Amino acid sequence: MMHGLAHDEARDALGALALDALDASERAAVLAHVADCGSCRDELSALRETAAKLTYVVEPVPMPDDQRDRVRARLLARAASEPKPKPIPAAPAQAHAPQLRILEPSHVPLNATPRDTPVPPPVVLRPTVVPLNAALVAAQRMEARARWMAAAAIVVAVGSVWALINTREERDEMRVQLQVASVEGRADGRVLDSLRAGITARERFIANLTGPQVAVVTLASGTPRAASARMFWDQSVNAWTFVAHNLPQPRNGRAYQLWLVTASTKISAGTFTPDGAGDAVVRANYALPKGDLAAVAVTDEPARGSPQPTTVPVLVGSTKGR
Amino acid sequence: MNPLSPDSPYPLSSAAAPSPRGDADRAPDDASLLRMMALGDEQAMGALYDRWHSLVHAIVLRMIRQRDAVEDVVEETFWQAWRQAGRYETARGSVQTWLLTMARSRALDRMRAMKRLREEPIEGEQGEVVVQQVADGDPGMDAEAAERRTFVLAALAELPEEQRAALELGYFGGLSQSEIAERTGLPLGTIKTRMRLAMQKLRGRLQVLREEVQ
Repeated sequence: MMHGLAHDEARDALGALALDALDASERAAVLAHVADCGSCRDELSALRETAAKLTYVVEPVPMPDDQRDRVRARLLARAASEPKPKPIPAAPAQAHAPQLRILEPSHVPLNATPRDTPVPPPVVLRPTVVPLNAALVAAQRMEARARWMAAAAIVVAVGSVWALINTREERDEMRVQLQVASVEGRADGRVLDSLRAGITARERFIANLTGPQVAVVTLASGTPRAASARMFWDQSVNAWTFVAHNLPQPRNGRAYQLWLVTASTKISAGTFTPDGAGDAVVRANYALPKGDLAAVAVTDEPARGSPQPTTVPVLVGSTKGR
Repeated sequence: MNPLSPDSPYPLSSAAAPSPRGDADRAPDDASLLRMMALGDEQAMGALYDRWHSLVHAIVLRMIRQRDAVEDVVEETFWQAWRQAGRYETARGSVQTWLLTMARSRALDRMRAMKRLREEPIEGEQGEVVVQQVADGDPGMDAEAAERRTFVLAALAELPEEQRAALELGYFGGLSQSEIAERTGLPLGTIKTRMRLAMQKLRGRLQVLREEVQ
C-alpha cells in the first residue's frame, strides 16, 4: 500500500488516474492526496474530461439484429418488472437548479440573508391545520390589503414521498458503495463523484427536514381524497421542502402552484405536478424573516404559474393558532 | 423584467423537472429521455437504446472480443443508465459521453473479471493500434459527431507513436501502467512518463473541442 504521496508525485499520476490505468494501491494513494488537494482535484477533473472525449473516436458498430433485439427486449422487461428507479428528491438541489433570484426590483438572491435584516431569535412555528374556509377568509382579508410581492422560485425536484422517507437509507447505501468502489478501484471518477454528490445532497436534504431550526407547517384540504402536505422550513439555511400526498393530477395545461403567505405578500414558490401516486416534493430556497410566514397554500393555476393565486387553495396550512 | 408584467417568467417550472409528457411533435432529446427514465418510463429507455446502442456496442466491442460478453456489457450499460438516470447532470457533459464512459467502465470491469478468471488472456490484444481512418460519409454518425471524431483522431495522431500507444493500451486496452510495462518490456517509469505527456498534450489539444464543436 502506498502512503503519503508527495504533491508532485500525485500530480504526475493524475493522467493515468483519469484513464483508469493505475494499479489499485497507487490509485488509492493518489485519490487520498486528491481528497485534500484542491488544485489536484481541478486537474483531475480536467483530465477526466479529456479522457471522456476519447470516446468520440468510436464509430458506431451496429449490433447484429438478433442481438440488438434480444438486449432491447431484456432491458424493457427488466425495467417493467422491477420497481421504478428511485427518484432522487434532493440531489438536484445544486446540480439541477439555478439559485432563486428576485426578479424585481432588487436582484438580490432570495437565498441570501438581507444585509439589513437582523437575525431574529429562533421562532418555533406552531404547526396547525386550519379549516379550509377559515384559511380562505384569512387569505381573502390579506389579499384585500396586500400587494403581491413577486418573486421567483424554482421547483427543484418532484418525486415520490416513498423516496423522501428512504433518503437516509439511500445515503447509507451510497456511502457503502463509495467505500467499496474506492477501495476496489472498480468505478470511474464520474461514478465516484456522482456518489459523493449524491451523499452530500441527501445529507443536505435530511438536514433540511430534521435540523434543529426546522419549522413544520401542515397543510390540509377538504377534498374527499384527503390530500395533505407538509412544509419543512430549515431556517438555518432558508431551505423549504414541501411534501404532498394524494394530490389529484391537474388538468391539461394546469399545474399546482405553491405559495408562501405573509401578512402583506403571497410569494410564489414554484409550480409542480404530482407523480402518478399523487405525491410531490418541491424544494426552494428563500430568505424569509422568521416571524413573517402566516400560511402556506397550494392553488391550481396555469402551467406557467400565475403572479397571484387565481383559484381557491386546494391545500392550505397556517403557522399561527386562532 | 417586471415580474408582475404579463410576460413575466412566472415560476417557474424548472428544466430540472419538466413534464414527462414533453413536446409530442418532437423526439425528446437525450437529457429528456433520461428524465423520463428517472420517472420510470421504460419506453424512454427503449428510445435511448435505439439511439445509442451502436456506439455503446462499438466501444464495448473494441475492448472485449467475446460476443456473449459484449452483449452482457451493452445490456448492463443501459441498465446502469436506467438506474442512474436521475443522477445525470447536463452540466457535466453530454449524454453520449456519460453513456460511453459508463460503457467503458463496465467493459473494464468485465475485462478485469475475465482476466482474474483467466477466461481471456489479456495478451490477445497486444499491439493493437486504435487510431483508424475516418470513415467517409458514415451514415451512422451525424455531422457533429463526425467532426468531433475527426478532431480527436487528429489530436491522437499528433502524439508521438510511443505516447499514443501507451495511452491507448490504458484507455481502450484496460491495462494498468504496470501491465503495460510488463507487456512491452519497458521500464514502468517510461510508461508513466509517456502516459503523462500524452494526457497533457491531449488536454491542451482537446480543450477547444467544447467551444468549437459542441
